[in-house]
Amino acid sequence: MRSIFKNQAASTWRRCGQCLFFALFLFLFIKTDYSGSDELKWVVNLLFRIDPFLALATVAAGKVLIALMLPAMITLVLTFIFGRFFCGWVCPLGSLIDASRFFLREKKDRLEGRGRRIKYYLLFFLLTSSLFGLPLAGFVDPFSLLVRGLTFAVYPAFDVATNSFFTLTYQHGPVWLNAMTEPVYALLRASVLPFATKVYALSVFSLFLLLLVLLTSFFERRFFCRRICPLGALLALCSRYSRLSLSGGGPDCGKCRKCLSVCRMGAIDEERTISSSECTLCLDCLTQCPRSRIHYRGSWRIAEEKIDLSRRAVMGSLAAGVLVPLVLPTRTLARFADPLLIRPPGALGEKEFLGRCVRCGECMKVCIGNALHASWLEAGFEGMFSPRLIGRIGYCEYNCTLCGQVCPTGAIKRLPLEQKHKTVIGRAFFDKNRCLPYAEGIPCIVCEEHCPTPNKAIKFREVDVVNKKGKTVRLRQPYVIGELCIGCAICENKCPVNGRAAVMVTAEGESRHVGGMG
Amino acid sequence: MDRRRFIKDALLWSAGMALAIPRFTILPEALAAEKPQPLLSLAEGEDYHALVSRVLGSLGGMQRFVRTGDRVVVKPNIGWDRRPELGATTHPLIVKALVEQALAAGASRVLVFDRTCNEQRRCYMNSGIEKAVQEINDRRAIVEHIDTRKFIPVDIARGKSLTKWEIYKDALDCECYINVPIAKNHGLARLTLGLKNTMGVLGGNRGYLHRNLGQNLADLATVVRPKLTVIDATRILLRNGPQGGDREDVKKIDTLIASADPVAADAYATTLFALSPDAIDSTTAAYRLGLGEMDLAKIKVMRA
Repeated sequence: MRSIFKNQAASTWRRCGQCLFFALFLFLFIKTDYSGSDELKWVVNLLFRIDPFLALATVAAGKVLIALMLPAMITLVLTFIFGRFFCGWVCPLGSLIDASRFFLREKKDRLEGRGRRIKYYLLFFLLTSSLFGLPLAGFVDPFSLLVRGLTFAVYPAFDVATNSFFTLTYQHGPVWLNAMTEPVYALLRASVLPFATKVYALSVFSLFLLLLVLLTSFFERRFFCRRICPLGALLALCSRYSRLSLSGGGPDCGKCRKCLSVCRMGAIDEERTISSSECTLCLDCLTQCPRSRIHYRGSWRIAEEKIDLSRRAVMGSLAAGVLVPLVLPTRTLARFADPLLIRPPGALGEKEFLGRCVRCGECMKVCIGNALHASWLEAGFEGMFSPRLIGRIGYCEYNCTLCGQVCPTGAIKRLPLEQKHKTVIGRAFFDKNRCLPYAEGIPCIVCEEHCPTPNKAIKFREVDVVNKKGKTVRLRQPYVIGELCIGCAICENKCPVNGRAAVMVTAEGESRHVGGMG
Repeated sequence: MDRRRFIKDALLWSAGMALAIPRFTILPEALAAEKPQPLLSLAEGEDYHALVSRVLGSLGGMQRFVRTGDRVVVKPNIGWDRRPELGATTHPLIVKALVEQALAAGASRVLVFDRTCNEQRRCYMNSGIEKAVQEINDRRAIVEHIDTRKFIPVDIARGKSLTKWEIYKDALDCECYINVPIAKNHGLARLTLGLKNTMGVLGGNRGYLHRNLGQNLADLATVVRPKLTVIDATRILLRNGPQGGDREDVKKIDTLIASADPVAADAYATTLFALSPDAIDSTTAAYRLGLGEMDLAKIKVMRA
């Protein structure tokens, strides 16, 4: 078969592809937001649904086939045909790593060694541990790492910085300056800026993890892709069998080692054999080979290439995946869940939920009330980055169902509005020591005003109380009707008491059951 | 100039600019010694578009309030993510008709906004108001999401309880402010009418105002002064206000009230709920501040 890419433009084509997919990724990222209709118009979670590693991990954890994740099959099939193109052309984290090379020049001495096997062991461990009840796949999945870092830190920081600049020009700049800056600001707001400024739990930590991935390129190009990425490992296992691959060089090339030195994955050995499992088809070798010997072409070999894995380490990672989950039931969590851990409406039972949740942060990105935030250790170590509602920061908008729409795995079910209205995620309680009409004899009931259920869950009684001045005043004291409260936390959010709210939502009474429907 | 020098200069320059914090001081107006009898116009009908013309007609039409070149604000209640028929937000057709009338009277710009309680885009969209204003298809009619940069601290010199608060610039910096509340039930205030609707131009933590709501609203009315109040009582929410959510709680009475006197408008609207004007603290407090008439006997009601 003749070579598909022949000319010098092959690398340029790949770069264009990367830019295109990255632009698509950013577009979908920005579109992960309310857009004037109750239903999202774009398949904003597409990236996660074509990720076969997450698909396998969630299927292993849930022991059910997840229809939402079927597009991941396409990636696998294409990898069997074309090789590991996904890493080199599509993966936005890979593209970002490549782009960050502009700022990071790696040292010349290469790290090489057995390091690149780690990703396979990690893959085996993560898949087995998911199967046995410890779902950690989302921690290291490249897309989850990227989207969390962007959603929690980069995008809000960009928003605040831009707003600060245009606030300065607006409030202190002369008229002629505003004539220029205001249209620019309006354009930015209409296109790339988020509608409202948001804050996020674990924002600095998530950014740190993302930067860590980028900065390791200092040691070696695409360090993360070569050594850590479990998705890359899975695709590498498939691309060994790929129908098409790069080849052409050989020992007869003499002293020329151009291909070796340009390869970002270190996929070419001294014999100039290109490893089809490690090669991500960046095509730099093809472009830069002085004798144009390297071609991308088909072959009918069956896994002629072996991945040099240690049997002992493979057994070790599988065993760890089986054994580590055994320790989970020894935690106090097994008997008493954190009552302040409030899951989004439509979340599956806790165990199923954690099994399916891929920590992608999409629900937190789309949450219109800025209510959903990444957990820290409230749901155990394995629950880190899973979504929880923090009432004091945001509340669950009564008529909004977006979190269930963006969840790529169905960990948060897509709820029809009528069902969402009846889904209890927690219940509100008054702290009478802080609530103004009780503690201070001052009128308030802002909570009652905002309570969204048509038959208000917060009601009030009129009472005569003696206030701090010794005067008898008639005022209204609020109380909660448990059966009507759905735990949206708008009361906690809008409570005008400073600091901790005088009305708080706890997970009590939530309608999801372990193993059941939300 | 090298790069370092430029950055240095730019920083110095912007720091200097940031020090100059602007302050708007609104001085209390002298009260008129002798007040003419306040007029209040009342109209009923199912054609809401025509209803607006009729109710304004007996007050002398929109031209009485809006002059050519005026910057106008139409401030409806868009506070909640509810559809129009649930009676929590001002009817979109009434907002639309008012904006059209103001444009016809020669307004150079008509701005429609509200600082909502629920998520802003959802409120603007589902109340139908955003769409209604856009349908006018006139560049002068602008429905605007709240721009937080526009909240400026304002001294309320005549305030008894509220002496300073952040107010949306456009609500003060305009020639004609038209208040278009919807009449509905409210837990704390009992009813939310014109004076309560003005809370939609406030920044800050508004829940704080509930501690002395009636007086605070009256104090606020000394600085945010509508030239015209149009109370939408086409549907009134009788229970579970101000948000509602159940059509059973909504009563359709197809009524519109208009007056240049904000207190008179509120006082009269109270009677639609079988309450007397003094049941609403803000009405009483505003009356005591001399902001308008609450004695129904002294208000001239004209049925259009």
